[in-house]
Amino acid sequence: MTTLSAVKQGRAGPTGDDPTPAGPGWAKPLHRLRHHRQELILLLVLVAMTFLFAQLNPRFLSTAAAANIMQDFSPVLLTAVGQTFVIISGGIDLSVGSVLGLAGVICALTARAANQAGLPTGAGIGLAVMAGIVTGLLVGLVNGLLVSRVKLAPFIATLATMGAAYGTTLVVTNGVQIAGGPRAVILIGSKTYLGVFTAPVLVVLGVTAIAWLFLAKTRFGRYTYAIGSNRFAARVAGIGVKQHLVKVYLLSGVLAGLAGILVYFRLGSGSPSSGQGGELQAIAAAVIGGVSLAGGQGRLGGTILGAFIITAVISGLILIGVAPAWQQIVTGALIAVAVAVQAIGNPKRSVDL
Amino acid sequence: MTALYEARSVSKRYGSVVALRDVNFQVNRGEVVGLVGDNGAGKSTLVKILSGAHPPDSGQIFLEGKRQTWHSPREAIEAGVETLYQDSSLAPDLSVSANLFLGREKLKPGILKLMGFLASKQMDAVAQAELESIGIAVPPSGRTVFELSGGQRQAVAIGRAVSWASQVILLDEPTNHLGARQSAEVLAVIRQARHRGLAVVLISHTLPHVLEVTDRIVVLRLGRVVADAPSTTFTGDSLVRAITGLNQSQTSDQGGQS
Repeated sequence: MTTLSAVKQGRAGPTGDDPTPAGPGWAKPLHRLRHHRQELILLLVLVAMTFLFAQLNPRFLSTAAAANIMQDFSPVLLTAVGQTFVIISGGIDLSVGSVLGLAGVICALTARAANQAGLPTGAGIGLAVMAGIVTGLLVGLVNGLLVSRVKLAPFIATLATMGAAYGTTLVVTNGVQIAGGPRAVILIGSKTYLGVFTAPVLVVLGVTAIAWLFLAKTRFGRYTYAIGSNRFAARVAGIGVKQHLVKVYLLSGVLAGLAGILVYFRLGSGSPSSGQGGELQAIAAAVIGGVSLAGGQGRLGGTILGAFIITAVISGLILIGVAPAWQQIVTGALIAVAVAVQAIGNPKRSVDL
Repeated sequence: MTALYEARSVSKRYGSVVALRDVNFQVNRGEVVGLVGDNGAGKSTLVKILSGAHPPDSGQIFLEGKRQTWHSPREAIEAGVETLYQDSSLAPDLSVSANLFLGREKLKPGILKLMGFLASKQMDAVAQAELESIGIAVPPSGRTVFELSGGQRQAVAIGRAVSWASQVILLDEPTNHLGARQSAEVLAVIRQARHRGLAVVLISHTLPHVLEVTDRIVVLRLGRVVADAPSTTFTGDSLVRAITGLNQSQTSDQGGQS
């Protein structure tokens, strides 16, 4: 164990102001690399996986397959981004899949109603988008209040809203597809840039970039880490823990709502079954990306790679002819492997449920 | 002369348990006061009242002669009363400088400030300079607290409290679980805090440390102050007697208390 005086001697040494331990010039970048070990491993996994799938079915590398993966990737990434904030704050949000589905059908219902009422297309679409966002906000707010005020465990609070949101979806749709929106919806949703990027994909990438900045560079992100790392410390440091947690769940809800809207734009109709299992994929993406379920640890860079790996695996399995029913099994297995790997690499911070 | 920080006839009960009865306590600028007592004597309760975490049922708190009613630790912190809690008040996943500035982050200027962008480099530099001025060697800035040894963590936690406190610093068992050399470092930081003109309250079971570093010792027993005298008037034995309320022949069975 290093004693204080040993550290003092280290400080007084020839390295002076260099914050890295004494060593040759390459030591610092090496230290950086170690810091991003998780991301490096994920990149390697991704490359190996791509190679494997391309061997089994060369179409995996086609532009069409890439475009498909990007489209599947965007709602997973968006819900995983929200999930990353929630998990880092020490919680979990099981409702994101149901919120995605509910926001999608609310958006579709609003677009259809506006269309039938003869509103201009732009106004109708604007209203529909707002309705979807508000849906996400409301569920996020309920989650946040249940966790911070009623003091329910996040697992229970969001399990409850997950069920409630899914039930609401079935009630408002009677279990059938909601079509009848303006044609512009699917045109916006399917317009492609640079071969593989549709408008929804670009929205997701933009939102993710902003979220990355906020998590890594701002006080909001710092408080999120602090609360997940040691809630007592955050509280006695004067951080408004309850208010912050409400904001974190609001963020997750809004992003899930936005994901639902984007799925609606892609399909051109609202499907009550979309978003099913979405929470599993979002959690898997974050956990594979190195976000610790114990809270306080993780980066959005990892989550982005995690979401990409999840989507690519599922697309790859479909391309090589594995039945879609296997998707959830594979996602579940990936979560188990990722958490196990985290626990091995970091014994003191393993998840203690 | 009025004391810098003073509790006057403070009482507190939890349900049917009386934790503090009519306790008077004061500490002056540049003074280190030891607060000792057996488990359940009321030390923690008094610290919670002084730190603003719990309000007293009756009695008053005065800072610089002015009556204070803390509604939260935040209010006490803003008035210059810092507390180092027995449970770690550091976030292990954050860096040393992030912990030092936790809840008081410096932001980048201009429009970035509105969005809450952190001035990380500035905070790193200030954290290092501040800790060094207190006599704490700072580990590399990119290192998280989780990667530090127990002694280093405690040094950072105390450094944090000392560098923000402008009036009073309450230290709850700061040398717990530390080795001899690390404890000596902590005691040096306490002397440094006194030298800065802070009023220091040291709560500890480690009586040799209390006798070594304090100017005055207050002994609590069953929620009452049973002794309040300059540290030089105590010996290890007399302090144990005051704490336990037993005579010497009986205390030999209770030696584990120190």
